Amino acid sequence: MLGLLGSAGVVAALIGSVLLVIRGIGLARGGEGDLRRPAKLVLAGAVVSMAAMQIALLTDDFSLAYVANHHATTTPFPFDVATAWAALEGSIILWGLVLAVFTWVVARRPADRLGAAALAVMGGVGIFFFGLMLTVANPFEVCVDALTTGCAASSPWPFAAVDTPVEGPGPNPLLQNHFLMAVHPPVLYIGYVGLTVPFAYAIGALALGVPGPEWLRRSHRATLVAWSFLTLGILLGGWWAYEVLSWGGYWAWDPVENASLMPWLAATAFIHSGLVQQRRGMLQAWNFVLVISAFALTILGTFLTRSGTINSVHSFTQSAIGPALLGFLVLVLAGSFTLFAMRSHLVASSPRIETFVSREGTFLVNNLLLTIYAFIVLIGTTYPLLLEAFTGSQVGVGEPFFNRLAVPLSFMLLLTMGFGPVTPWRGAPAGLLWRRLRGPAIVALATGLVVALTVTRVAWVILAIVLGVWVAAAIVGLLIELAGKRSAKSGSSVYTEAKTVIRNDQPFWAGQVSHIGVALVAVGIAFAANLPLHAEVELAPGDSVEFAGYTLTYQAPFRREEPNRLVQGVRVQVGQGDRVLTTLEPRANFYDNEMGGIITPAVMSRPGGDLYLTMRDLDSETVLLGLDTSPMIWLLWLGGLVTAAGGFWSLAARRRERVLPEPRVMADV
Amino acid sequence: MSDRARNIVSITVIVVMAVVLFFLVSTRPATVDRVAEIGSRIKCPVCQGESIANSPSQMAEDMMDLVAERVSSGTSDEVIVDELLGSYSGAVLLDPPASGNTLALWIAPVAALVLGVIVILWWRRHPGQDVEEPPPPGRSRARLIIGGAVLVLVFAGIVVFAANSLQDRPAVAAGAADLGEEDLSDVSNETMEAVIAANEDDPQIVGMRLALAERYFEAGDYRSAFPHYLEVAEHPSATDPEAITALVRLGWMAFDGNGEVETAVRLIDQALAIDPGSQLALYVRARVLWCGSAETEQAIDAFEGLLAQPDLAPETRSQIESDLDAARAGESCP
Amino acid sequence: MKGRALRWAGLAVVAATVVLAVVLASRFGSDPSLVDSPLLGMPAPDFDLPGLDGSEGTELSSLRGEIVVLNFFASWCLECREEHDDLVAASDSFAGQDVQFVQIAYQEQATETLSYLDQAGSSATTHYLADPGSRTAIAYGVFGIPETFFIDAEGIVVGKIIGESDALVLGATIDSIMSGEQPGQQITGDTQQRPDG
Repeated sequence: MLGLLGSAGVVAALIGSVLLVIRGIGLARGGEGDLRRPAKLVLAGAVVSMAAMQIALLTDDFSLAYVANHHATTTPFPFDVATAWAALEGSIILWGLVLAVFTWVVARRPADRLGAAALAVMGGVGIFFFGLMLTVANPFEVCVDALTTGCAASSPWPFAAVDTPVEGPGPNPLLQNHFLMAVHPPVLYIGYVGLTVPFAYAIGALALGVPGPEWLRRSHRATLVAWSFLTLGILLGGWWAYEVLSWGGYWAWDPVENASLMPWLAATAFIHSGLVQQRRGMLQAWNFVLVISAFALTILGTFLTRSGTINSVHSFTQSAIGPALLGFLVLVLAGSFTLFAMRSHLVASSPRIETFVSREGTFLVNNLLLTIYAFIVLIGTTYPLLLEAFTGSQVGVGEPFFNRLAVPLSFMLLLTMGFGPVTPWRGAPAGLLWRRLRGPAIVALATGLVVALTVTRVAWVILAIVLGVWVAAAIVGLLIELAGKRSAKSGSSVYTEAKTVIRNDQPFWAGQVSHIGVALVAVGIAFAANLPLHAEVELAPGDSVEFAGYTLTYQAPFRREEPNRLVQGVRVQVGQGDRVLTTLEPRANFYDNEMGGIITPAVMSRPGGDLYLTMRDLDSETVLLGLDTSPMIWLLWLGGLVTAAGGFWSLAARRRERVLPEPRVMADV
Repeated sequence: MSDRARNIVSITVIVVMAVVLFFLVSTRPATVDRVAEIGSRIKCPVCQGESIANSPSQMAEDMMDLVAERVSSGTSDEVIVDELLGSYSGAVLLDPPASGNTLALWIAPVAALVLGVIVILWWRRHPGQDVEEPPPPGRSRARLIIGGAVLVLVFAGIVVFAANSLQDRPAVAAGAADLGEEDLSDVSNETMEAVIAANEDDPQIVGMRLALAERYFEAGDYRSAFPHYLEVAEHPSATDPEAITALVRLGWMAFDGNGEVETAVRLIDQALAIDPGSQLALYVRARVLWCGSAETEQAIDAFEGLLAQPDLAPETRSQIESDLDAARAGESCP
Repeated sequence: MKGRALRWAGLAVVAATVVLAVVLASRFGSDPSLVDSPLLGMPAPDFDLPGLDGSEGTELSSLRGEIVVLNFFASWCLECREEHDDLVAASDSFAGQDVQFVQIAYQEQATETLSYLDQAGSSATTHYLADPGSRTAIAYGVFGIPETFFIDAEGIVVGKIIGESDALVLGATIDSIMSGEQPGQQITGDTQQRPDG
């Protein structure tokens, strides 16, 4: 029944997408038509299919093969809801739903030719994803051959004779071990799918031959939404890895992490270069290249991690989805760049850049660095594949390679971030940069000196602190300078004037908030990566050990039955001096559908950093504990949040802007 | 303070602080944890993407112990890494060297940087409005059609190519590691079913089909095994042993499942027609006769005939002997 | 002039895409976790391991002159359980034919492996060995079990089976080694990597 409902939703969304393409093309060619109805149909269909899946999960309807194979009656909230995107087929429903929402939002404003063309492209993307749901990744197949737990065979035909199992194996234990896994995929998907909007506008603009900044203006908000959520999604992914994967790290340059980083880098470059085109009319062609790349990288990332061609922590499984995604990727890249080549005479024109010592000049450097960054991640992730395909020999590319290239590149980016905001458009008058930056340089170096003398002299940490403070001080210095000038004229306080300065150009200052967030992330990473302590101890109950200034006492092992799992762990009391701080429970969680236990760390967070305990081995007498510290790791989480917050603020600021009466922007091109 | 004096002071302060900082940082007594360093360069073979230094798995810890032992005995980093690569191959090295077939990996980013700088400089030199006329509309449409056709061809080619490569793949148990003990073989079966269904016409699939059927058979699931055995038995490209196994199993299932002794014997006789010496066929035939009919004499004859074969495996021989004794004693079959 | 450069750049990307796609598509047929063993054709790493029950152990070099079938297994590995009977039977049937079967426990306490063997049965002629610290598994580059190595009379690794083997495959591989061939690596199925998932 729910299978039928879900499939009907998918079919409706598919029909809506087809209508969008047909009518969108018609409208873009100057015809008549309405695009809101098909967009609503897509949305309604996607909502129905997701609702059907959720109802099936919440009511333990094992007649659906997806539910039978990825859900169990014992799966607790919120993991039963999150199971909808815990495996391949379900995650495509989520993808489709997010795409439908974006499509509907784009269709809400009356469609002119550019909007119609963009919606046609979005409809095309929709056809692909809803098509996947009806073919190679059908989440609504009904179970026709039940096992004791799970389903052996399924049929896409909703009226097939159903054989309902009484119980399922439950979702992958790693994915039901922490609530973050319930939140991380939707957030990340909003980021991924959001990039479809600027891509669609870009292709629409190319097809219509209107490469001007209109498509950038129209898609700017969607780009910001995508970028902010992508930032948040990457952050949540790192946090999840830290809390669940029990090695004390948050980033391993794993293919799936790289898959989310590459579009982020491309989107970051695009946000900057888009500004250059809007302000100066330059980089027209480059913006098309970037936005196509960003979209293609989301598809490539999905392909790499979901097709089974690369081994990764997150690969769901190997299936026919691989060829489908690869085909779509080729279609996107080859189609887009063919169109780009056909319109090259239109996109080539641009005014001359007067000097590289200008805002646009710093944006060029930033774009070069970000592009190289994305390229390094791309080549590092795909090189083993390519080499094996060409020569048959196998190599591994991992953390040491990426760190060696990405770390210096990140520092170069931080350095540029100090220059960018204080450099005016078109060119800086002589001496301006020196006047604006000598202060930040002194503050940054002084902070570095203080830290070197009191905390640590590790080179990477000092460098990160100096450059992080440099970025922040340049921004604060600029704000004080601008506010000071106004205050000298008006007589009101610098603080009041600073608020006015910010209010007058909120998107700019929102961007600076993101910059400060990135600086915080850099400092957090430098601390956590360079100054951790590690030890491994074997303790009997009652034993104590000193570690990193804490006294750890092994109290007793414990064992706890929970509905969906068995928890086995040890209680460790953490004290400092005479004070008892807390009791930690490093443990292993045993799920029915997994042979061994999932080792789950226990973390105590304090201002100086985290204490991170893992239970390595437990027998009747002793426990083997892994002890780690992650100094200042909260800076990393905070920095990530601040970065995303900057994006959201910029978004909100733009919305408020629109409320103000402004000259109507050219509606038709 | 004049502007000039301020500048001089600022520059002095900046330079002095930078020099002191550099001095502080560069004179720090560096303690290099060689074990962790080497560990971070080796991928844990039983994990996915993690290094042995990061992985909490027992295997990674054992490998770290080995590394620690080698380090303390004075072995150089490269020798230790080479030792591990010698048994696990270069695929476990996370830190590709800037030489040999990973040289390109290191050159590519540098080349991209140089190319980027060249493009930017070239772009600055050649800005300006482009005077090129757009191509006439008719031609443009022709191009669009040709481009579209090429795209469709490429797309189709890739799909066909991909589908073909899929066909050659060995049976893969999708997500098998995610499931518990009891279900694991079932999930493998499901995958095998899927692979078989997708490659119905591939002659090479017969072997897999038979293997799957055998699994069902051993699990007592005759219903699932039956169509596969039938397919194998009738398939033109099945080898003789494959066809014999399939026929004999079909025979046994006809007897054991449905009690049809005659059908069973007929099927097994078909197998014997392919190879009159097939021990499997002879043995099952004897069992069917013994268990399924009153003709114990025939069964005894058949067992004796089998025992006459010189190349019986020892355990088969002892099994037949015990069966024969039981049949002679007039016992019904177990 | 500039437009033309852009056009060629765009078309170059299209061409590169197509090439890359074909390359990636060629990977669909292969299992990414599969790695060719560099040991094939090389002298087998020697070992001297204690028996599982604490009995006197076995040194590989003492078996020189005979074919050695070296299998890594554990009770937590389902594929190993599947192939167990066939290994036992093969060991029995090749007894006295200059073939030695060695089974090394992988990532498991000896007591657990022993109780598994009590249950599942064992061959009197097979050497069941423990591997403290996984040194031998590391030396043989074991990625997941079951993995079975074939070592010829000169002590060279001439064959390897990844995944579940059966009587047929074992017999055929040993026969081909006896007739002087090098069977190389073959994949018969899945392996399991670690007891804790």
